[in-house]
Amino acid sequence: MSRLEAKKPSFCKSEPLTSGRVRATLCVLKGILTSSYGPSGRLKQLHNGLGGCVCTTSQSSALLANLSVTHPILKILTTSMQNHVSCFSDCGLFTAILCCNLIENVQRIGLMPTTVIKLNKHLLSLCTSYLQSEFCGCRILVDFSSTQTLLCLVRSIVTSKPACMLTRQEIDHISALILRAFLLTIPENTKDCLILGKSIIVPLKGQRVTDSTVLPGILLEISEVQLMKILPIKKSDTFKVALFCASLSGDVSDTGEGTVVVSSGVSLENAVLDQLLSLGRQLVSDHIDLLICQKVVHPSLKQFLSMHRMIAIDRVGAALMEPLSKVTGTQPIGSLGSISPSSYGSVKDLCTEKFGFKHFLHLIPNEATICSLLLCNRNDTAWDELKLTCQTALHVLQLTIKEPSVLLGGGCTETHLAAYIRHKICNEPESILQDDGCTQTELQLLTEAFCSALESVAGSLEHDGGEILTDMKYGHFWSAQPESPSVVDWPDLLSRCGCGLYTSQEELRWSFLKSTRHPFAPQTCLPHEAVGSANNLTLDCFTAKLSGLQVAVETANLILDLSYIIEDKN
Amino acid sequence: MAAAGSAKVALRVAEVLETIVSCCVGPEGRQVLCTKPTGEVLISRDGGCLLEALHLEHPIARMMVACVSSHLRKTGDGAKTFIIFLCHLLRGLHAVTDKEQDSLISKNIQTHRRHWKNCCQWKFISQALLKFQTQVLDYIMGHYLSKHFLSIFSSSTKERTLCRSSLELLLEAYFCGRVGRNNQNFISQLMCDYFFKCMACESGYEEVFELVDDYFIELNVGVTGLPVSDSRIIAGLVLHRDFSVYCPADGDIRIVIVTETIQPPFSTSGSEFILNSEAQFRTSQFWIMERTKAIMKHLQSQNVKLLLSSVKQPDLVIYYAGLNGISVVECLSSEEVSLIQRVVGLSPFVLPHTSSQYEICNTALMNFCKPLILRSKRYVHLGLIGTCSFIPHCIVLCAPVQGLVEQHKSALHGAFKMLRQLFKDLDLNYMIQASDQNYASSPLTYKNSRESTPLPEIVNGSRQSPYQGTVVKNKGKLATTQTYLKVYSNFVVPSIELETHIPRSIQKVTPTDTYQADETLRYLSLAKTRIVDDSEPLMESNSANSTTENTRIEISDENLQVTEIAGRGSMLPVREKSLEMCTSHGYCFSSIPAGCVLPVGGNFEFLLHYYLLNYAKKCHQSEETMVSVIIANALLGIPKILYKSKKGNYSFPQIYVRTLHAIQTHPPMVSSQTGLESVASKYQLLTSVLQCLTKILTIDLVINIKRQPQEVYDQDSEEEV
Repeated sequence: MSRLEAKKPSFCKSEPLTSGRVRATLCVLKGILTSSYGPSGRLKQLHNGLGGCVCTTSQSSALLANLSVTHPILKILTTSMQNHVSCFSDCGLFTAILCCNLIENVQRIGLMPTTVIKLNKHLLSLCTSYLQSEFCGCRILVDFSSTQTLLCLVRSIVTSKPACMLTRQEIDHISALILRAFLLTIPENTKDCLILGKSIIVPLKGQRVTDSTVLPGILLEISEVQLMKILPIKKSDTFKVALFCASLSGDVSDTGEGTVVVSSGVSLENAVLDQLLSLGRQLVSDHIDLLICQKVVHPSLKQFLSMHRMIAIDRVGAALMEPLSKVTGTQPIGSLGSISPSSYGSVKDLCTEKFGFKHFLHLIPNEATICSLLLCNRNDTAWDELKLTCQTALHVLQLTIKEPSVLLGGGCTETHLAAYIRHKICNEPESILQDDGCTQTELQLLTEAFCSALESVAGSLEHDGGEILTDMKYGHFWSAQPESPSVVDWPDLLSRCGCGLYTSQEELRWSFLKSTRHPFAPQTCLPHEAVGSANNLTLDCFTAKLSGLQVAVETANLILDLSYIIEDKN
Repeated sequence: MAAAGSAKVALRVAEVLETIVSCCVGPEGRQVLCTKPTGEVLISRDGGCLLEALHLEHPIARMMVACVSSHLRKTGDGAKTFIIFLCHLLRGLHAVTDKEQDSLISKNIQTHRRHWKNCCQWKFISQALLKFQTQVLDYIMGHYLSKHFLSIFSSSTKERTLCRSSLELLLEAYFCGRVGRNNQNFISQLMCDYFFKCMACESGYEEVFELVDDYFIELNVGVTGLPVSDSRIIAGLVLHRDFSVYCPADGDIRIVIVTETIQPPFSTSGSEFILNSEAQFRTSQFWIMERTKAIMKHLQSQNVKLLLSSVKQPDLVIYYAGLNGISVVECLSSEEVSLIQRVVGLSPFVLPHTSSQYEICNTALMNFCKPLILRSKRYVHLGLIGTCSFIPHCIVLCAPVQGLVEQHKSALHGAFKMLRQLFKDLDLNYMIQASDQNYASSPLTYKNSRESTPLPEIVNGSRQSPYQGTVVKNKGKLATTQTYLKVYSNFVVPSIELETHIPRSIQKVTPTDTYQADETLRYLSLAKTRIVDDSEPLMESNSANSTTENTRIEISDENLQVTEIAGRGSMLPVREKSLEMCTSHGYCFSSIPAGCVLPVGGNFEFLLHYYLLNYAKKCHQSEETMVSVIIANALLGIPKILYKSKKGNYSFPQIYVRTLHAIQTHPPMVSSQTGLESVASKYQLLTSVLQCLTKILTIDLVINIKRQPQEVYDQDSEEEV
């Protein structure tokens, strides 16, 4: 009998946000996140002091997954961000920093939570409707006739992950590979709905990054011993493949719930092996070239098959079964008995290849949306980071296909949006004031808190103590070298804005981001020619950023709304 | 160790709970974060959830929580109000007992001073409370408050149809107390849309409520990491798992459900399979394979495109299903299976036992069957065609964190529970003291609205004949020789209240006069009036609607005359209460009809407060006055909290004065565009609180013991053993 223990009473705490400890921990978390943000972000080394691997990263997914937070409020914040990242892969740090900034700024102005939540919701809906509107000045429609925009998008993502330790050329190489891998997953002829294929990332550590490559089809890793057994593959037009999901190990399978009494001298194993060998004979007579099994293949059967010049690969694992069935164009076989000829698949070509120190069997499909991205990096931690980056980039490309627009990156969207909101609230506050019953002062205070939260996210991109500015025409983000003289000629010191769309040679006026300035209307409606001519833009995923913005505000609202915390200490 | 279990202790406990709970009450309420030992983080504004999470140690507190949860099980709403109301009641009692020596309240109290002072004083109060709850409360509800009730049904048509705008108002008010401020409107709109999408016909709403309440978990999908505004309703049913094998199909899609593996097992449980040779083993394996193949072929020939299985199917079955173009979903939970069975009216496919005979199996048609991807997780999306009044739809609930998804889920589920309660009649029965002058005169003051219709009830048959063949089932009170029967009908019409009282002359019933009344003397006979006319005429005006519980009355009397009053019931959607009164104690049976609502913002509390005070003024017994006044004042606690943060014109005193004035001048209040709340749940809450208070007051000592209390075994069960 289990021991019964009286439950301890819970720990109840009112107005959690006012406590100094919570503020301090929030501040620490914010510090960790902001310092990792952007291409020049500082790397974090995560280890547990008891050995095990060390993780060097600046990505939100790796950071948040490994940080163990104890305070419930921080837990809410981090889980919210992790959930966002698992949905969109991108913009995790943006979301987290914005959320922290919002909480901090709102606390500073000390308004009633009721008013804050209502107004935040209004401001958020202003932001989302602006970003989705046609005249939005920081959104670019993706032109699928050229790869320019998509390549910029991928390059921005790879660049923003400094822990991958890539040089400029390597970034270009990897970005091109990612884009090519993505394009290979798009089916050539589709009817009404587009079903994307899959890029399988194959690890190859310890090689140069530039050795990475993309191949159509699937790479199956095989040991050298296996390779020796494979005789030179004869040339033919197609290769017939039998893909098994049933075990070919020769074990006596499930015998039901009752008892099975076996007379002495009767060996079930023999019976099953006989069955397997007869299956082998059938495969041979059906002219199968390659047998792939998810589970184990009995050695005798393997032996038998290789005698008949058939390649047998076993223990492929469940994860590869779906791509394999796509590549071979067949359903996995679950029977050991008579197999209908229709359940065999085929591949166009079959060859063995060697990359680095690893041997692979390469299945080249006739027409399939599966490709393998052979990813190389120098060491384990950098490879892990690179793999995460590739997955992020591939996911972002998928999201971009669904919603064909991108946002200007490099902090420009944030400052532009803040300028737009400021101007909008300053000029037409009636719409919000009408249905909410709050005062003009409250609205202005909160708008300032909201906008400066957005701007300081952009400001966190600068880590080297440089000046951060915004121009008074487009509302874009500019950063200058540190140690600039006090009175300067800005056009000479600045070269391009954060996203790279505008140069400092235009007639622009600048102002420090931190300073107060008169609200101005940032120029909306991006001119087409400007986008077309600029070839090296920094771009962000539209869907991820929009949802990140919403999630950040919603989470901040949620945290600000808390009046009690009840902690169950059992 | 023992501690005095007095109201003082209870008050202290209740006050602590009140401070926690009151921050979540009403539209301005805030959220509470609960962490579980497992590391889960819950966000909640639900009173019941908070009280559970506190794991209180104090015995009285534990008792209160137990009372709250039993109330919640019944109604699914009102935990926070429960605590606040209880706290105010205790406070009121405390104040009264403190003041009692000054005898400020009434002179009569002086005479009862010894009651209040001695050790049983709490017991005495609790008895008074119980008496109040059983006698006075129902009377006030049925008699005074009922004329203020509004109905959720639209009044234009004869049948009870749901009015969308009132349902919206009701839900909005409900969600104001349940979910975060920024999502209230969104969630209530979502729920309203969902409900109207699911409802196949106007009259089938009860079935929809029942089904959604029972299978709520299966009818929604939680997605984390997305903003709340991405939540939506999708047509069809979403199963929380992926296809084992998926074959795209369109056109005529049929499904079957199986509850066992299709592949015959090698041996069944309880049997022994003796293998004598390897050949025998091979043959049996071959037979199993052939048989599986044959069954799948058969399914294909029936045009089956989807196989739903409650168990895991072997690889062989999946393989043959794929070959035959049948998609398979395995490991369905029993709830999912029973939901699908209920929605499409499909029974599981029974495997044929002999290989030759295949009967036409049970299949159902559906619109589509496809994978659904939500946040990179795959689900099965079925376009079932409902055969009952429920059109299957699913809610996809999105939120940044799981805790918020859970909150919205439980709020939605609670809303369905609340609606299910709302559409039930709630019976009130009360006894009226003959001495109650107020009541006796009241029927006369009402205007008889049926003046235009000639009253056909009174038919004087002068025949005198003995009652023959009557079955006598005398219910205690009716056995009295002198029975005065006063019957009047009471009509409740949405938004306008017509109370029609038909004062009857007092009739004498001779001692031999017997009639049978089934239990409660509530009659159901549509728009009929039965007049039993005798030398001592006994009259029963009786017209009821279909919602009243059907109780028989058998009057086996030759002189029974039945007069149909045609058209009376059809003039207005009439909900009727028949009330009956006997000599000195009249038992009145009345009900709060289904769908009764009042505007939110403390309207119920203000009304009850007003009528209780009025009642108290007319009361003669001191303890009754006292109890009524205490309850009336405690009721104000809830609106006080609701208007706490409001200033100026909307502050509590202002509202209070204005509402009381409104009640006095023009009784039926016109509802503005505010939310609505269910009267029945308010009433139930009140009775639950009073019961809880009685329980608390009857305890005089709390004894701390070291062991678990011994379970009291049922005497009967032991004897059986």
